[in-house]
Amino acid sequence: MSAAPMRNLDLMTPPVVKTIQQRSLIIGLVFGGIAALGAWHQADEFFRAYLMAFMAWLGVTLGSMAILMLRHLTKGAWGMVIRRILGAAMRCVPLMAALFIPLLFGLRRLYIWARPLDAMADNHLREHLQEITKTYLSVNGFVIRAVFYFAIWWGLSFFLTQWSAEQDHPPMRDNSTRFKALSGPGLILYGLTITFAVIDWIMSIDPSWISTIFGLSFLIGQVLSALCFAVVVERILFRYKPMSELLKPEQVHDHGKFMLAFIMVWAYFSFSQWLIIWAGNLPEEITWYMRRLHGGWGYVGLFLVLFHFAVPFVLLISRPFKRDITRLVWLAAWLLLMRYVDLFWVIEPNFSLTFNITWLDVVVPIAMGGLWLAYFFRNLSAMPLVPAYDVFAVEVLEVAHD
Amino acid sequence: MTQGPVQNERAPVIEPGYTLGSVTDKISSIVLTRPTSNAWFVGFGVAFLLLMMLLFAIAYLFVKGIGIWGVNAPIGWGFAIVNFVWWIGIGHAGTLISAILLLLRQSWRNSINRFAEAMTLFAVASAGIFPLIHVGRPWLAYWLFPYPNTMRVWPQFRSPLVWDVFAVSTYATLSALFWFIGLIPDLATLRDRSEERWKKIIYGMLAMGWRGSARHWHRYETAYLLLAGLATPLVLSVHTVVSFDFAVGIVPGWHTTIFPPYFVAGAIYSGFAMVLMLAIPIRKVYNLEDFITERHLQNAAKVMLATGLIVAYGYVIEAFMGWYGGNRYDAFLLWNRLHGPYSFFYYMLLACNIVIPQVLWIPKLRSSPVWLFLVSGVVLVGMWLERFIIVVVSLHRDFLTSSWGMYYPTRWDWMTYIGTIGLFLSAMFLFVRLLPMISIFEMRTLLPEAEVKE
Repeated sequence: MSAAPMRNLDLMTPPVVKTIQQRSLIIGLVFGGIAALGAWHQADEFFRAYLMAFMAWLGVTLGSMAILMLRHLTKGAWGMVIRRILGAAMRCVPLMAALFIPLLFGLRRLYIWARPLDAMADNHLREHLQEITKTYLSVNGFVIRAVFYFAIWWGLSFFLTQWSAEQDHPPMRDNSTRFKALSGPGLILYGLTITFAVIDWIMSIDPSWISTIFGLSFLIGQVLSALCFAVVVERILFRYKPMSELLKPEQVHDHGKFMLAFIMVWAYFSFSQWLIIWAGNLPEEITWYMRRLHGGWGYVGLFLVLFHFAVPFVLLISRPFKRDITRLVWLAAWLLLMRYVDLFWVIEPNFSLTFNITWLDVVVPIAMGGLWLAYFFRNLSAMPLVPAYDVFAVEVLEVAHD
Repeated sequence: MTQGPVQNERAPVIEPGYTLGSVTDKISSIVLTRPTSNAWFVGFGVAFLLLMMLLFAIAYLFVKGIGIWGVNAPIGWGFAIVNFVWWIGIGHAGTLISAILLLLRQSWRNSINRFAEAMTLFAVASAGIFPLIHVGRPWLAYWLFPYPNTMRVWPQFRSPLVWDVFAVSTYATLSALFWFIGLIPDLATLRDRSEERWKKIIYGMLAMGWRGSARHWHRYETAYLLLAGLATPLVLSVHTVVSFDFAVGIVPGWHTTIFPPYFVAGAIYSGFAMVLMLAIPIRKVYNLEDFITERHLQNAAKVMLATGLIVAYGYVIEAFMGWYGGNRYDAFLLWNRLHGPYSFFYYMLLACNIVIPQVLWIPKLRSSPVWLFLVSGVVLVGMWLERFIIVVVSLHRDFLTSSWGMYYPTRWDWMTYIGTIGLFLSAMFLFVRLLPMISIFEMRTLLPEAEVKE
């Protein structure tokens, strides 16, 4: 069972990756420059857009890490073929850590608890905040916790990458025991850190509102974003060798099934949260939905129900659709956009009672995305697309039966 | 998910050395030729006595009314609802194994799906008794259904309690159908292998004329796959609706958005614990270690570990939000769980559901039947306590101090609860004796000689 020389296939990424990397960087810098102007003139709007863009790209990064760990626990060719795509996305953790720093300059603009409490009109809220800012929601605590989260994410990504890189060179290795030993606890750590991170970064924008499923909703959103992103990248690479030789309809089919499963879980969590809060109808909870269902925001919510769930659900029922990468990719790209709309619908109504979108909400995510993609494609071209000396690489490297 | 070709490092799903014939012999002989042991009679006898106790307790309940139970003004949902949720949760593992694992092409399920489905059916039967006898006037329970009547009675469709009626009855119907359709080819095998005429007639009628023709198999496969597809959402939906029963109420401890996934995970957790508690003795007594191998035990243990961690996540996030949210009633609930009169049970719950099951991280213990049996028992106790905490501790001290109270189950509560265990076990004993507890034909597909050459 010799794997690497099996088909004399060059497993390095095609040259097009370099081109995309350069273009992404240019887009990132140009839009970044425009966004910087916005930061100067419309700082409030800038930081809101920045937080949304940050959460969107963090979602792809961490979601990739989660899917990668899931693959290490369960195996299967579906994961081997996108393993290095997920790995390259996961290695954007340091970039995301760097991109987190500007947020610290906007804390007072984003979070009510970071502002002076004495001037607050709402007595009830002020009393609650006086209590909670002493113990948990303080600027120091916010920074320390963020450092802690990024340290864990970086640590996981570091080991997963190191062990994977070993499998690019002879001798044949089976690192699966190590990977498994890290991935089980790693998924637990991911689940807990992302939960508490979104409590800090998103939920605390409205410190009087809580929902215990909130962390899980973000978790599934991240995993969905990452899977859709991997499908888009595998489509781009599918035009060239080696991906054109590696990717089989069976694996695309599995990716489609995962997409279906993830949008169903997303809808399940979102619906459950809505139903429970709607039926309870408590003033401290229902206000969150009142804001998001009135003043024009309701149309965004309805749009999400239809195009983040219903239409993709119907499309993904079809077996031929799931197996055809040239068709699936469009839905994947669409869902990436929907992920951003979902973040927009969750975050932006905190700041505006009526529907409100600024040019920064478009420019900032593109700017950040350009930088992120440049970094991602740099990571992607640094390693071969398949770890040829992993004993499980035969799953995709062997010649197909038919 | 496609299975990778490399499987060498795993324990086998079926021990080597079996042929199509010997698999059939081994499983069908338990029903047809093996003499009924004294141990079976003793076990069934005990279970049957408990079942009689259940009938007695229910008969007395009908005579006297639910005043004989421990339920009272603040705690309107006592043992009946605790036990209902516990039993219905246990059933979920059977559906997960038979439907979801079938769709995921996890062929290891083939040797445990039959009795796991039977377990589902008997657990749902045990569960279904409780809401019916809890309504107080069970002879009017049919009012729950929206049928045209002259009384102007119509169910409140905004209440999850009404959804539950549909969720549970759908679940029971589909589980029974799924189980029976899966049995048909094996019933035909038993018909063909029976020596006595009366057995041939009974199994023959149950087999519904199955001859094993290609057309039969084609239809069978279509029907089975269709039912699996229909059963899959039920794994999530039934316990989600059960969780809504609590979560839409505004009682602290009930009204929390994590409940749906947390209930589903808890259900699968307890269900796999019950699967292991049944599988471990059965494989020992009937020498089925070759069919229900270490691999099955390990996989079940892993599912328990994963679902148990989701349950633990639920506890963590609930406790954190109770503190972070700043709602004094939520904070009090947390305090009351930790320091109130039922605190002992809360600590027991944490020990049984979170702390002790972590031993399953150790690979050696995951493949030790004795350890798995013990841990499963602990988990079943823990999951029962969880429902007790949710129902009783949340209700006994709510918003108004003057309406606080305590709940003490009476002997009738205990007799009813233990009685349903008798019902469950009696049905299991009969099932093991009268029907093939492992799917014969699906086991045959796991043999090397059944593998299709590509």
